[in-house]
Amino acid sequence: MRFQDRLFFISKSSLATVLISALPVLGSSDAGNHSENAKTHGFFSYGARFVVRYVKASYRDDPFRTFLELCLVLFIVWYVSKQKYKFNQVDLKLSEKDIEELIKEWKPEPIVPLMTTHEKEVFDNFPVIDSPTGTVLKLDNGKSVINFVSHDFLGLMNNANAKEKAVNTLRKYGVGPCGPPGFYGTLDVHMELEALISSFLKADATILYSQAMSVCVSVIPCFSKRGDIIVADDQVNFMLQQGILLSRSRVYWYKHNDMEDLKKVLEKIDQVESKKKGPIPRKFIVAEGLSMSTGNILKLDKIMELKKQFKYRLILDESLAIGAIGPRGAGTTDLFGISVKDVEILIGSLCLAFGGSGGFCCSSKQLIGHQRLSGAGYVFSAAMPAIMAITAADGIRRLETDSYALLNLLRRNIATLRSQLGRIKDIVIEGDIRSPQMHIRLTESAYKKCISSNLNSSNEQTWENEDHVLLNIVSHMRDNGILVSQCVYVKEHEHNIPRPSIRVLVSCTHTQQQLEKLSQSLEEAIKAIAK
Amino acid sequence: MKTSLHSKTSLLTPESSTEAISSKMKDVNPEVGSLQPRKRKGNTVSKATQNEKSVLESSNAQAPTKEKHKGLESVPIFTLITTYLSYLILILFAHIRDRMGKLFYPGQYALLRESDGYAPLISDFESLWIRRLYTRISDAFNRPITGVAGGHVTLLERTSKDHNKTFELTGKKTEVLNLASYNYLGFAQNTGYCADQVELSIKNLGLSHCASRAQGAQTKMILETEKLISEYLDVEDSILISMGYATNSSVIPLLVDKGCLIISDELNHSSLVSGSRLSGATITVFKHNDPSDLERVLRRYISEGQPRTHRPWRKILVVIEGLYSMEGEIGDLAGIVALKDKYKFYIFLDEAHSIGAMGKHGRGVCEFLGVDHKKVDMLMGTFTKSFGAVGGYIAGKKDLIDYLRLKSYSSVYGEVMPIPVMEQVASSLRLIMDIVPEHKGEGPKRIKQLEENSSYFMRKLREMGFLILGDQGSPVVPLLLFNPGKIPAFSHECLKRNIAVVVVSYPATPIITGRVRFCISASHTREDLDYALEQIDEIGDLLGLKLLK
Ligand SMILES: Cc1ncc(COP(=O)(O)O)c(C=O)c1O
Repeated sequence: MRFQDRLFFISKSSLATVLISALPVLGSSDAGNHSENAKTHGFFSYGARFVVRYVKASYRDDPFRTFLELCLVLFIVWYVSKQKYKFNQVDLKLSEKDIEELIKEWKPEPIVPLMTTHEKEVFDNFPVIDSPTGTVLKLDNGKSVINFVSHDFLGLMNNANAKEKAVNTLRKYGVGPCGPPGFYGTLDVHMELEALISSFLKADATILYSQAMSVCVSVIPCFSKRGDIIVADDQVNFMLQQGILLSRSRVYWYKHNDMEDLKKVLEKIDQVESKKKGPIPRKFIVAEGLSMSTGNILKLDKIMELKKQFKYRLILDESLAIGAIGPRGAGTTDLFGISVKDVEILIGSLCLAFGGSGGFCCSSKQLIGHQRLSGAGYVFSAAMPAIMAITAADGIRRLETDSYALLNLLRRNIATLRSQLGRIKDIVIEGDIRSPQMHIRLTESAYKKCISSNLNSSNEQTWENEDHVLLNIVSHMRDNGILVSQCVYVKEHEHNIPRPSIRVLVSCTHTQQQLEKLSQSLEEAIKAIAK
Repeated sequence: MKTSLHSKTSLLTPESSTEAISSKMKDVNPEVGSLQPRKRKGNTVSKATQNEKSVLESSNAQAPTKEKHKGLESVPIFTLITTYLSYLILILFAHIRDRMGKLFYPGQYALLRESDGYAPLISDFESLWIRRLYTRISDAFNRPITGVAGGHVTLLERTSKDHNKTFELTGKKTEVLNLASYNYLGFAQNTGYCADQVELSIKNLGLSHCASRAQGAQTKMILETEKLISEYLDVEDSILISMGYATNSSVIPLLVDKGCLIISDELNHSSLVSGSRLSGATITVFKHNDPSDLERVLRRYISEGQPRTHRPWRKILVVIEGLYSMEGEIGDLAGIVALKDKYKFYIFLDEAHSIGAMGKHGRGVCEFLGVDHKKVDMLMGTFTKSFGAVGGYIAGKKDLIDYLRLKSYSSVYGEVMPIPVMEQVASSLRLIMDIVPEHKGEGPKRIKQLEENSSYFMRKLREMGFLILGDQGSPVVPLLLFNPGKIPAFSHECLKRNIAVVVVSYPATPIITGRVRFCISASHTREDLDYALEQIDEIGDLLGLKLLK
């Protein structure tokens, strides 16, 4: 029904076009003869006389043609005047019966699609943990495994001191604050934690968000609006991508950690923008200190230069970096000796290295004040439970007082594991050598061996197949007492899906034997699967 | 302090006898109690669609209609005019002050101006409201507290030396009656069964997993808590998500995307809006709580199909809330469910405020309204309010939930719910379900107490002649203040009398209907409420708020 409608519409409009273009052609033979005096007369009188003469002449020559042309003119007038309805109101033309039919005919898709075989495999492979948190976990099948999946770089998880503090906090504050910070949800412990973060990072001011995943989606749309410009690394983590999407700004991507490419992109934008008039848009570079999806460390010094040169502001996500790198463990800024105050907006998390929950943003006082009124995750969501705030604060204090020992242990473990893994010929380790998060992939040849013995349908190197092989390795390792995980993504929503990898997270609590066991078990797993 | 609020023990502290007080209450107020869903009054729905086949008219659904509040029609013209006039004057002065300020103190406005090739981070126009109007009354917001936000709460006193630009804590603490927190069932506690269970869980299991669910932090405890939720809600399966806001904003994009249509109530919460935006689906709204308008929108959009291509929609998702927390208004679920079979849309119901707080067993609006909850495809709720925890859930069919476990942004990229919080969810849920033998009857008692408290409070306020929004049975009771000057004044007067309230004005509400919002809790005693009513009565006289008198 709707389709016929459209056809009718199209045929009508094309008819009109043909007629309009045909009209002058029909009259052109006569019109030419009478145009000598055009320059000596005024346009209107000339036009009027022209029409009169033209009509007279044509009536004399061919009355039928005059009639035909008149009909055409009338038709065009009628047609144009009729076209007043709006295009999106097709329903005006549908009768109630048509609508009923359309409604009856319409069939929605199921609310969620069925899982693909690969998705099902990933889902069924989620381990179930049945034990306290810690370096050694027990699974629900009774097996003990060594934990390489927690971002517990500093070994702050499950320590007696934090637990005792948590219980004391519980006895004073209860669990939930029963409201957003704006409505009597701001606790004294929140303010203390904010001050502590500011002093640890040497920032102007800090705002707490109750969940790490809500920080990026709140902060970016808070400052970058429609029409503004965001230049982002094409492998930024998913929540940054979502924040960028939500801001509705214009986005330009540069190749992951490639400063040359960034410069090119900035120059190109500069060329286009400098020609435009009007107020300049806000311009941001969005990058990650220690990359979630690759483990690479940002070249912060270079970015600082570029941002100054091209007059951009920096939104830096240090979620993974803080508590993992830098001489004080204060992240990339610490590593490069750059003041946090020079970074316009810095995002961090408390739920990873510090073992608490939530995240934060450091910025100038005014911009933090602005977020307290406009940051969606701050305004519209419940405040952080006091227990988790105290736990995070405890974590930060422990790092502050004991940074030398904790970080040295961590670095030693990273180095040990790297050198042990380096002996395995079948794998490639991605990421910076200082990163406690490692992404492990198979070499081409190892992949070929594994895939041919594994999949009978197709052994192309697709994302799914590669992930499938890694998943088999992970599950083999788990059976042998090592808990690692292959990276899981919401593949169809990622901007630039990273290649599948196994993610290993090193903690300073891992012993040498545990690290050794990891590399042994990885080697064995590859061997077993490639056979 | 006028009365010694300290001495009053809350109804739900272990040492007070609930029976005694509630029986006393019956003496005072015999008609309090049975809260039946209101029956539909024939002629109120479906005026927009003049179509005899309209489902709404032909169906026999027992849709409770919105009892029209003795509402805005009865507001004296004088109030309306003065309200608009006040805003006009405020804005006028704001502009004048801004102009003057920029002329004489350019330094203070540096942040709002382009400088050195950088655009201002905060736009001048956007922030005018904040700088000139909000800042004046900002002492009524973000008030810091300490301890438990229960029936009473301890405020940390603060002062400002620079007209509310910055605040300093004075170190003084005041205990006030809390009519502000979403502590509906009174589970914000540091003692009692839940707190004990939480303590045990911390000692036995630890605090947090520092990982996401999909990458190694799926614990037996999550699965068991989810099972408990499913049992409670009588659904096939449910998923626990660590944040209520993210439950909406990170799940909706998985349900619909390009080529799908979201039809959203115009007053939906920010989390639902941002989820809808992230999804990439076409978004349209229908008139607040008006099923007949929803039907009009559905008919139009289904018959038109997707914009430009006119292909049929892939899916249609109707997003609504159970209890609208700014209005205290109960969603017309029955009216919307009645449209479902014909128009084949999916329903996403946000029960953030109603779960636990409404219905005989606290199962939310479905139970309250007598609507079959199986008709709702996605039942969403949060544990932030009634349960005294944080986080949210989605409940529905097993394949849907499994899909979300694998793919929801929160499972994959977010942190898993901390152990103490999860234990608070589980233990409060066990009490509500009444399956803890040692605490038999405690959960249902809280639910009943809340219902009695909120209907008592609302009825009394109405009797005093205040303009009260909100449906009977809602634990949120908004009182209209109108004039912008009265908004902070009400808050200050309450604070003076040791009552904490939340005031809201534009842009959170329509410009005319600035309001104060009382949140009633099961942990309020009758004396608490009577004290509050007495004080509000006085304030009402003082500020001229009794418009229906
Ligand atoms: C309707 C609605 N949905 C979701 C939320 C967010 O819940 P949470 O505070 O747990 O993030 C709220 C909170 O105010 C709400 O009112």
